[in-house]
Amino acid sequence: MDLVRDLLDKKVVDRHGRDMGRVDRLILESGEHSAPRVVAFQIGPDALAARVAPWCGRLASGLQRLFKVDEGRPVRIELADVLSIDADVKVDVAFGETATATIERALRRWVGSLPFSS
Amino acid sequence: MGAIVDLVLGVVTSIGGFVEVGSISTAAQAGSEFGYQLIWAIAIATAMLALLTEMSGRLAAVSRRTVAAAVRERFGIHFQLVPLTAELVIDTLLITAEIGGAAIAIKLLTNVGFEWWLAPLALLTWLLLWLSGFAVIEYGLGLLGLVTLAFVISAWQLHPDVSDIGRSFLPTTPHHHYTRYAFLAVSIVGATISPYLLNFFSSGAIEEKLTESELWVNTTTAYMGMCFGGVVSMGVLVTSAMVLQPRHILVDSYEQAALMFVPVFGHYAIPLFAAALGIGCFGAAVELTVNIGYTFSQVFNWTWGANKPRRDCARFVTAFTFVLLMALGVALMGFDPLRLTMLSVALTVVIMPIVVLPFLVLMNDKKYVKDHTSGVIANGVLAALTIVGGILAVVVVPLEMFGG
Repeated sequence: MDLVRDLLDKKVVDRHGRDMGRVDRLILESGEHSAPRVVAFQIGPDALAARVAPWCGRLASGLQRLFKVDEGRPVRIELADVLSIDADVKVDVAFGETATATIERALRRWVGSLPFSS
Repeated sequence: MGAIVDLVLGVVTSIGGFVEVGSISTAAQAGSEFGYQLIWAIAIATAMLALLTEMSGRLAAVSRRTVAAAVRERFGIHFQLVPLTAELVIDTLLITAEIGGAAIAIKLLTNVGFEWWLAPLALLTWLLLWLSGFAVIEYGLGLLGLVTLAFVISAWQLHPDVSDIGRSFLPTTPHHHYTRYAFLAVSIVGATISPYLLNFFSSGAIEEKLTESELWVNTTTAYMGMCFGGVVSMGVLVTSAMVLQPRHILVDSYEQAALMFVPVFGHYAIPLFAAALGIGCFGAAVELTVNIGYTFSQVFNWTWGANKPRRDCARFVTAFTFVLLMALGVALMGFDPLRLTMLSVALTVVIMPIVVLPFLVLMNDKKYVKDHTSGVIANGVLAALTIVGGILAVVVVPLEMFGG
């Protein structure tokens, strides 16, 4: 598998087909005598921004702390939880059970309070 | 039957939604200063836009990916940051310019300063996006936009010399003001090939659940809709050339552009011009605003959709609301809508190669478009457009300085 072409930046959907974000950063592990291997990936603006530049990552993390949406983020998905890698990356978790839903949930409180939002 | 209805609606609303603040101002200025001479620029830009929108729709129908989503996946975030940032800046300026154009249209009708209409129009834009689904945004505004056919009727009624117009489809050098001529030619291209249209078109294909078997609908809509839309732009240019140029009226404000309707529509000239400008600009402001929501949601894979309950796609709603507020903030700082339009159009040209280049790759990648890859001719045209776009991106800033 070409990690950059086939995994990085791909859409991640949960077990119910709900959009969770994208594969924003890969986590690799290497043993003393073994080649590096992907063990997990991260989802979240801080992980994505850190990929662009370390200072962008720090800025994104700082903003998340400022708005109190930093708990449990970036979300780490173990490769063992990946159900399939096709056009999308399907994972065996639920969107609402992870911190990927934190910002959506926080904004929904505001959006949902307006008339005709549902 | 459903596909035929989609096709007719798609073509008709493409015509109604084609003309907005950029195309009206560039075509009106071109006509008043160079007669029919710049019709070729509209023709070429329209053909390029049709080609790109067809590809956007094909990509979406086959891969179930919009342009923004496919670019993120295929090119990664490092590449995408450039068009994403550029689009955020340009779309914000364009929303400001479109709301400004609509505000001037109301000013023409009421004589109340356009600044007073900026905030109510921004609120109306947001309310429309809050309360309506994709059909109202696309088809409702597109149908209302058919009032812009007044430009074609006006040109027709003025009985232009058809052979003169025909000859203007081939580029010729002007007798005066070479840099101004070149600037207007480049601006017409920038005003016509708006990057937001490409993602909006592909998002529409996903919203409307366009399938691979309906690609013919996409192709016909793109080519017929855009080409007829180009005729409306040409109507602006021809009317301006026949009415404003002989009277040496230069279009340095929308109020002056409105005079082009007087010979044909008499007392109704100003209200009709105001309706065409207002609806065209307001429709574009709505499309630009929702497209910001689309683009950010697709790049980061948030839940999105104009047909979804708003509470179910809170980040999508927040993205377009935030950008609309930014555009209103820029507008309230005070600006000349015509100058801002020309600046936005020039910036659009600067990013054109970055917008066009991904199509060359995506439309030849079978992972995205399966067997519907582009042919030799389309690839050749796209490659030429990328190169020409690169040259235009370099020359547009000096042209803006010396000819703008």
